[in-house]
Amino acid sequence: MINLWKSYDKKLEDSLSINRKLSLEITKMKSYALLQSMKPIKIFTLFAGLVWVGLGGYIVVNLFRYAYADVSHFFLYSAAIQLVITAIALIIYIYQLVLIQQVDLSEPVLITQSRLSSLRSSTLWAARILFLQLPLWTTFYLSENLLQNGNTALLIINVILTLAFAFAGLWLFVNIKYENREKKWFKMIFQGKEWNPVIKSMELLRDIEEY
Amino acid sequence: MDQEEIFLSVLEKHKGILYKVANSYCKDAEDRKDLIQEMVYQLWRSFDKYQEQYKYSTWIYRIAFNVSISFYRKENSRKIVSVPISNSLLNFSETSISEEEVPGLKLLQQFISELKELDRALMLLYLDEKSHKEIAEIMGLTETNIATKISRIKNNLKQRFLTIK
Repeated sequence: MINLWKSYDKKLEDSLSINRKLSLEITKMKSYALLQSMKPIKIFTLFAGLVWVGLGGYIVVNLFRYAYADVSHFFLYSAAIQLVITAIALIIYIYQLVLIQQVDLSEPVLITQSRLSSLRSSTLWAARILFLQLPLWTTFYLSENLLQNGNTALLIINVILTLAFAFAGLWLFVNIKYENREKKWFKMIFQGKEWNPVIKSMELLRDIEEY
Repeated sequence: MDQEEIFLSVLEKHKGILYKVANSYCKDAEDRKDLIQEMVYQLWRSFDKYQEQYKYSTWIYRIAFNVSISFYRKENSRKIVSVPISNSLLNFSETSISEEEVPGLKLLQQFISELKELDRALMLLYLDEKSHKEIAEIMGLTETNIATKISRIKNNLKQRFLTIK
């Protein structure tokens, strides 16, 4: 095998040429910004998330300060908790992206790959946290008036729905992890190539642990 | 000599490493072009931090493997410098090696590309006849561990060759 490889090496030595002009162009490049390494759809989603939290936060804070007595407390608290959860998920996501960008690639392979894979696979945390919002989508439209004078059957259905969503949110929060990657529900949530890097990072992390 | 010139001469001397690593981790020619550009970009980025206690080859292997293993996991395979398809940073035609000239090479390359990423790195270093000490520095493993793993991978490849024959 080594002799075979040596012949290949010899061939490479004889014919491989480097494009100096292109190499020189690369040395003139400024450092790449984090945003330049991301797909436009991800930048858009991140931007939309920031606008959502910013704008929503501004409205909710003002409602708390100036119209607390006039608006439904169900709406106010549901919206506030939803915004806090989204903000936490966004902060975690951005923090991880920045850390990934800062990993030193000239360190030994196992150290670097272990660091990168742990960071990438922990982006699942953002998804886990976002699922905790689920029950809030069943409470924001409730009001004190509806509780006192509303249809009892509808209220019971609402309570059941809220409990079911709360259970689903908590269950997903606990169960979204590498060990469950082969489960149908996991594949359904994390299908699509956007999640492939995260799943593959988790697999590599396993390989590194075995090493 | 300025920094750029030193960098380019180091690159020129070790261009084979970049090509061999990129070729083992990326089969698609167009993606490979981007991968090699990314390697050169990352090498240049960390050139200031290069520690003289290690050989240039150790430093290059580390970055080449780290970039290659991370490449498909990236958010986006970015184009650092947009160039026409015919214009690559490293120019070499795999098809210029005929099976008659180097019999079995294609098969060996195929077997290597089927190995797990970390095993693949170890095998490439073994085939490039790097010492266990240098392999340990590149991979971040102990020398004993390397000897065991290389022997396992070698046996595995031998078996595969035997099955084909």
